[in-house]
Amino acid sequence: MNKLQNMTVAMVLSGLLMAVGNVIGYQVDWYSSLLGVLVIIVIGLIGMAVSQLPGLNKLPMVFWISIVAIIISLPSFPGSAWVIQITKKVQFLAVTTPILAYAGLSLGKDIELFKKLSWKIVPVTLAVMTGTFLFAAIIAQFVLKWEGAI
Amino acid sequence: MDILRNWKIHLLVLIIVVMSENLGVVKYSLIILLPLLHALVLGGIISFPKFKILSTKQMEVAAGILPIAMMLLIVKIGLDIGPNISLLFHSKGALLLQEIGHFFGTVILGLPIAVFLRMGRESIGATYSVAREPNIAIIAEKFGLDSPEGRGVMATYICGTLVGAVWLSILTGVVAKLGILHPYALAMGSGVGSGSMMAASVGSIIAAYPEMEQQIRAYAGAANLMSTILGIYVSLFFSLPLATKLYNFLSKFQSDKETAKEKV
Repeated sequence: MNKLQNMTVAMVLSGLLMAVGNVIGYQVDWYSSLLGVLVIIVIGLIGMAVSQLPGLNKLPMVFWISIVAIIISLPSFPGSAWVIQITKKVQFLAVTTPILAYAGLSLGKDIELFKKLSWKIVPVTLAVMTGTFLFAAIIAQFVLKWEGAI
Repeated sequence: MDILRNWKIHLLVLIIVVMSENLGVVKYSLIILLPLLHALVLGGIISFPKFKILSTKQMEVAAGILPIAMMLLIVKIGLDIGPNISLLFHSKGALLLQEIGHFFGTVILGLPIAVFLRMGRESIGATYSVAREPNIAIIAEKFGLDSPEGRGVMATYICGTLVGAVWLSILTGVVAKLGILHPYALAMGSGVGSGSMMAASVGSIIAAYPEMEQQIRAYAGAANLMSTILGIYVSLFFSLPLATKLYNFLSKFQSDKETAKEKV
């Protein structure tokens, strides 16, 4: 299997797991959950195809997938209302749970490496994460007020 | 990477998803625990080397699926941007300027603590960025990963992978409940340039402000897109030089004190 086929299989598989979570956690019916996930997967695959075009592959795939999703959801794009209505049935949190489950299952290999580090890295990492989140949020708060958006 | 042949991973994810979603959102006063957090912790426990449930190779397969599954989250968030495009255009200044906070916030808060803990030049690598893959590549090219700077960035990478999402989810939940910062501002803050951390952070904002769900995701998605595009350049040309300068400045005081002590 080549890389793109592998990615397609992984997308479909993780999409199915998202549908399962959507049914269990948010009481959405199977039909709406599977249809919503299917539309999300198709958009992801279109983005993946776009990112492979010559000249466009200089930017990361995540960028092109974002751009394709944004364009499809623009009010002026034909059928955007339908896409939004269908995909709205898939809850954001249901999408995140399988992703973080995969992340969790890969942590074991980092635990061994982590044991070799000094404890000092823990407060430093927490400060790094807090700093990037809080400073951006504080600047955003001031500028949003100034722009009259909030 | 043979995705289908490693069915054990997918079965485990299925079990984790069923358990996590059944548990649902758990709230203890200011703290919000989301299903994604249960999933991360459950997965982490299962993969614990002592239990020998998963081989290192299987863990690598899980790590390989992670960015692909993440693409579906990127689609989900991207679909919220279109309907809110005029709202985002109205706040283009905020979207642009908040990136300054993302890129320098790590140094401003992290570096003084690293220097205080006497981490040496590792402080620079450890705090110049959120230490995700592109940031490691920059340090690897400039200093090599065997240098103090390289050890620093790898340490924050490993520690960030283990605790970053958990920490941001809880921190964001508490800050959101305090109600000082607007949920739109928090949403932009959550676009830290790592998918799992953004997901954990956005999840907590939405749990606190469910009525603004769509706008929150639109702001977070737009901010994260900005971090993706600008990230490499800003951290190479601005954050890294700033971290180096600030380190040289702060460590001057420290070595003065050190020599003074030695004289006594």
